Amino acid sequence: MKRTLVIIALMVASCAAANRTLAVLQTHTDTGSLVDTTSPQVILPGTIFVSQEGAIYAIHDRSVGRLALPSGGAWIQPRPLPDGSLLVVRRFDEYSDLYRVSASGKVLNRLTNDGQSSTNGTLQLDHWILWAGVGPDGATVYFATDSPKPAPRQSYEVDFSLWSAPLSGSIAVGDDGVAGGTRWSVPDAYTGGDIEPVPLPDGDLLYASYANSGKGQVQSVLGLQTAPMSRMVSLTSPAQDCGSPAVAADGVTVAMVCSNGGQMADLEVATLEGSTLSAPRVLVANCLCNSPSWSPTGANLLYMDASDVDGNFGLWSIAGATNLHPGSPRRVTDASVDLDATSAAAWVSG
Amino acid sequence: MPRSRDFRARAAPRRRRASRQNGRRRVAGRALIVVGFALSILTGVVLYFLPAIQVALRDTGQANTSLGGDPQLQPVSASEHLSSTSPFTLLLLGSDSDSKFHGDYLTQSMILTRVDPVNRHVTMLSIPRDLWVRLCNGRNGKIDQAFLHGGAQCAIQTVENDLRVHVDYYAWIGLQGLVSVLDDLGGINVIANNPVMDDYYPADLSGGSPFDYERILVLPGAQHMSGTLALEYVRARHDDAYGDFARSQRQQQILIALRAKTKHISIADIPDLAASLGSDFQTDMSIGQVSGLLPIAGSVPLGAITQVVLLPPYTISEYVGGQDALMPDWALIRPEVAKYFPAAV
Repeated sequence: MKRTLVIIALMVASCAAANRTLAVLQTHTDTGSLVDTTSPQVILPGTIFVSQEGAIYAIHDRSVGRLALPSGGAWIQPRPLPDGSLLVVRRFDEYSDLYRVSASGKVLNRLTNDGQSSTNGTLQLDHWILWAGVGPDGATVYFATDSPKPAPRQSYEVDFSLWSAPLSGSIAVGDDGVAGGTRWSVPDAYTGGDIEPVPLPDGDLLYASYANSGKGQVQSVLGLQTAPMSRMVSLTSPAQDCGSPAVAADGVTVAMVCSNGGQMADLEVATLEGSTLSAPRVLVANCLCNSPSWSPTGANLLYMDASDVDGNFGLWSIAGATNLHPGSPRRVTDASVDLDATSAAAWVSG
Repeated sequence: MPRSRDFRARAAPRRRRASRQNGRRRVAGRALIVVGFALSILTGVVLYFLPAIQVALRDTGQANTSLGGDPQLQPVSASEHLSSTSPFTLLLLGSDSDSKFHGDYLTQSMILTRVDPVNRHVTMLSIPRDLWVRLCNGRNGKIDQAFLHGGAQCAIQTVENDLRVHVDYYAWIGLQGLVSVLDDLGGINVIANNPVMDDYYPADLSGGSPFDYERILVLPGAQHMSGTLALEYVRARHDDAYGDFARSQRQQQILIALRAKTKHISIADIPDLAASLGSDFQTDMSIGQVSGLLPIAGSVPLGAITQVVLLPPYTISEYVGGQDALMPDWALIRPEVAKYFPAAV
């Protein structure tokens, strides 16, 4: 009798153990948090800020630390400022705001208040602000926002256009535009519009512009403008379908991601020569890559890529990417880390 | 010594009896342990594969638990197509299956797929949901209503009759099912073609009123998508120059991205996937056939996938019967379908 009870107990225990084992195995298939993983696989000088699951992490030497940002929303797209602080987007489900924070994550000031529906109850009055970057004067911020747009229930159109505004003070984004801001572009309707502005040293603005091909596709080109609302010069063809521009410290080497309308992309670099772009050189072909960004000196290129067998978006580095013979891509983060691929890394010296 | 010998002599039969009894007990005990462990293993296996078994029973006509008593297709004979090298066609159907439809589902997504295992080639033809056709019941209407009128059987008949093509299998999935299966697979990696924005996206899966709106934004470029984000990507249409056509292209993108995931799925994963899909999934394929699809899907190179969308001039927008519809130019469409689906009758 006692033996029978022991056997029954063993059966129950084995079932419970199997169930627990399954649960543990399932847990282990999840991707790792950046701070939980081993130190960076490649040691790079300075500090690199990346975004993962709504948090910003700083990679410095062999250590990884999480910025102590307030909870709520997803903190994405860090951009370095000349004083060592960062511009960071805080994205919520239906709007986003722009913040300036210290390198440790202390909020220095909030630049926008785009969650308008919290007071007026009409969610179409909310706004997005994304891809912020500071201009060569260090005092002007460039960004993409879904303003202006038609009044609620008048139209379905909502597209990004490019604006600039003083970095000091607040930026009032409304349905009619950005109060006190300068409008740079008018988007092609119902395409997503103009995004990813990169202010150049000479005052020009480089960006990705989406347009209706008229043949059943929306395609993007890299566009260049010399002044607000001036005519955009296309630097790439619609068939190349290029976006994610990033300009090296030399001011002329442009990194970009081109999908050629396909399901995979190429990471390319080209040289900006006035209002034309040289023939591109492919650094990484047939990749799931996105969001290139340059080192402060402009020699090394960072980007996100999930082409490895694990399928996680890791941070990758190419040394001497401006050279004719760049180094081989090296994975910086641990293979289990899955970063936000739409959020470019910010690399600062020191 | 004699006493002890006698004792041994007397004691020997009892010990032999006791030994035989102990032996039988040991054998019985060991047998019980073995049976116990076997039972526990069997129980575990049954519990683990229970969802798959339920799906298998349902799909072989033993039970029909979803979609309000749709006529169930006849069970297919044992994986004759997937085990052989013959090309086969699969009609993929997707419905907004949230509470505002009360089980009366249209098919917002219809993708006719042809798989050629030998040549490792896949063709995907998106059939616009607004395509004005003769339905299986003989009436004219939008093709998305076929499923509403007669379930998968009517959708298949309508596609077969109007496009002059043979459909071997079908698979239907609801909104929540799509989210669940993508999440169970750990999400997918996709290159979003452009910023996908919608200020009037239906907030029908967030638990509130199914008639509410929400704002969504999917950023462009390569990224990892959860089930919810992928659903937003394939479902948003209001701020889109090509509306449903663009949505169809994005739906095909998700299917292609799923192909990469199939390399990491084995038959052992199917029970979990089936469980998460629940009543939000229906097919006339058996589990063996679904598992047979996995290596085929995983081995098809990206360049061997043909994507077809019936843009103008194949279709023309018109206002018919008080609603916007797409009028088909069959003289253009049918030869194209015959070209991509050569088994067409």
